[in-house]
Amino acid sequence: MNNARIATTVLAGLLGTAAIADTKADVLVNYANIAEAKYADSLSTAQALQAAVATLIAEPTDANLAAAKEAWLASRAPYQQTEVYRFGNAIVDDWEGKVNAWPLDEGLIDYVDASYGGPTDDNEFAVLNIIANPTFSIAGTEIDASTITPELLAETLHEADGVEANVATGYHAIEFLLWGQDLNGHGAGAGARPATDYASGDDCTGGHCDRRGQYLQAATDLLVSDLEWMVAQWAEGGAARAEVLADEGRGIVTILTGMGSLSYGEQAGERMRLGLMLNDPEEEHDCFSDNTHNSHFYDGQGIQNVYLGSYTRVDGTKISGASLSSLVAAADADLDKELTGKLAVTMAALGDLKAAADGGFAYDQMLEAGNEKGEALIMGGVNGLVDQTKSIERAVTVLGLDNIAFEGSDSLDDPDAVFE
Amino acid sequence: MNRILPFVLTAVLGAHPVWADGPGPEVVTPLIAQSVSEHILPRTQAFAQSATALAETAQDDCTTAQAGLEAGFHQAMDDWTAISHLRFGPTEHDDRAFALAFWPDGRGKTPKVLTGLLQSDADLSEAAIREVSIAGRGLYAMEFLLFDQPVMDVGTGARRCAVIAAVATDIAANAQAIAADWQEDFGDELTNPGAGRVYHTPPESVQELFKAATTGLQFTIDTRLGRPLGTFDRPRPKRSELRRSERSLRQVEMSVEGTQELAMILAQVNPALRTRIGAAYDQVHVLIDALNDPVFASVSDIQGRLRVEILQIQIAEVRDLMLAELGPALGVGTGFNALDGD
Repeated sequence: MNNARIATTVLAGLLGTAAIADTKADVLVNYANIAEAKYADSLSTAQALQAAVATLIAEPTDANLAAAKEAWLASRAPYQQTEVYRFGNAIVDDWEGKVNAWPLDEGLIDYVDASYGGPTDDNEFAVLNIIANPTFSIAGTEIDASTITPELLAETLHEADGVEANVATGYHAIEFLLWGQDLNGHGAGAGARPATDYASGDDCTGGHCDRRGQYLQAATDLLVSDLEWMVAQWAEGGAARAEVLADEGRGIVTILTGMGSLSYGEQAGERMRLGLMLNDPEEEHDCFSDNTHNSHFYDGQGIQNVYLGSYTRVDGTKISGASLSSLVAAADADLDKELTGKLAVTMAALGDLKAAADGGFAYDQMLEAGNEKGEALIMGGVNGLVDQTKSIERAVTVLGLDNIAFEGSDSLDDPDAVFE
Repeated sequence: MNRILPFVLTAVLGAHPVWADGPGPEVVTPLIAQSVSEHILPRTQAFAQSATALAETAQDDCTTAQAGLEAGFHQAMDDWTAISHLRFGPTEHDDRAFALAFWPDGRGKTPKVLTGLLQSDADLSEAAIREVSIAGRGLYAMEFLLFDQPVMDVGTGARRCAVIAAVATDIAANAQAIAADWQEDFGDELTNPGAGRVYHTPPESVQELFKAATTGLQFTIDTRLGRPLGTFDRPRPKRSELRRSERSLRQVEMSVEGTQELAMILAQVNPALRTRIGAAYDQVHVLIDALNDPVFASVSDIQGRLRVEILQIQIAEVRDLMLAELGPALGVGTGFNALDGD
């Protein structure tokens, strides 16, 4: 390790850069440490959600529903910052569909408004309503859903019939069960599910309240156990950590792949611009809770803090160490400045979007056709994300990783292998 | 993407060893110029012409012009699909490509938006159409207007003609804008990279072109063919692209033709490799000609499915060959594309 550091330093000196560069190995260890901390924060906030949900089901008051919603919102901030680990880390990508699949045909899970429609060309089970139906058949198989368990959700109902929109588990299923459908269209306001949807006896609204409670608890328990598993993958001796540390070049490519793929194809394209161009409030990432602005903001922040090698935990502790930024700076100080600057521009744009939404200009309203102010706010984020991707590609080049990408990184040279 | 970046890039890249792994600018720059002059400019102009012709036909009395509209649609769709891999620069400006080609449409938004337009008396001026959801604009919406009976039955004949004319005019405007941008500005941008421009160095320009060809193939493999194939247990023939106008296989053919033209220009960097890539493409055409299943209806039976899968595998071989050998020969990596993500 010391020899490697000296060698890098000498090389940096030869290139005319004064700064002492971090080694690739140091950068990768810090990257893994930050992953462990982010997933641990996601877990602790999900455990708080689990407790709040249990209280809500035991005592379905407005205050307890509000507390559960608050807990859900708090759990999203650390989790969204982990999304930069998805692309490139196959262990994360194979797993993440369990916890954060989106968009969903929520009629699979519970009652929906008549305006939602019925089964579609793509999904026969778009209005299955598991909560109202203890037994049903999927593609010829009779399903016994008389007791809704985490196993039933994970193994039988999630992605039922091979349709990705059949999301039975994870944050967005829980979000739907707490908020309900957002029927405000382009108007402000989130879903307005009453707490009595969890009441017992005659007070029950929406029907089958006991089964709804069972579903909510099972989905939340499952989220917690899925996050426990992912924390273990990044702990000392965990498989995800080992994979990243196995090969320095490939490890660095993994970091850049996560940053570039999330920035461009996923966030700028699929989540932000496509929704805007469809003018469709259902295209909000956190559509039931109207939390989309935070979801976008923390995704962006995750990209930035991975590059800078620094993450502030939910309890305020700061994890900081060797950074990709310093590696890039050693190879090309101007490029590091360019990329650091672009990440900051993106965060300023996403910050504007978040501030506007926090101030009452709902993301639904921004998506409305002809809403120029909303379009400008969203496109500010999109343009920043697209622009930073170009510099991330340049970082791959200046670090001499092009050829490694061809040999080593599934998602740079064979995206379908990882993203299916 | 807005080509006017939020701030000017000032990095000076001259000092970097960017040529270390690839051929020099004297080799690469002519390939970029030729890609623009022999592939991009003629193809984007052809699309602008056929889109304009479709719009002109639509302005005539469309109640009697169904055959002419259908022919015009097929020509415009051929020409678009042959450039549909060029998803950078002019196609991304003002979201033109998004507005031309919204597909796949997993949640059935196109018929929904069109039904709304056909039933209402909303303004259909050029400016008004630009504010409509992309699900109701472009060539894939035009297919529903001309070939989907339920959508064709909505509203009055006069309203239907007005919607067809408005959608066609919008298509033509975007097609003309793409061709004009390439002609007047972006061709130069790509061919003459430099500090402060969109592309800093010739390898960045070449990477953009290389990425376009490989991403175009990836879309055909994963989406044009992968969606109807579904899984062995659950094939999805209804998800075939443009099945209502029976163009699913034709789409594969035109996208292959477009990427091939570009790949063969870039592959001049290594004549032996170029011969192999050309042979792999030839095999794709043999399979397409023999398939005789315009909408992939046969993916539900074992024999038919196998033939579609073989076509998919052969296109994947072309792409793998380009990734494994053409990229390194050009000295570029794959980079990021819009299909990254889920």
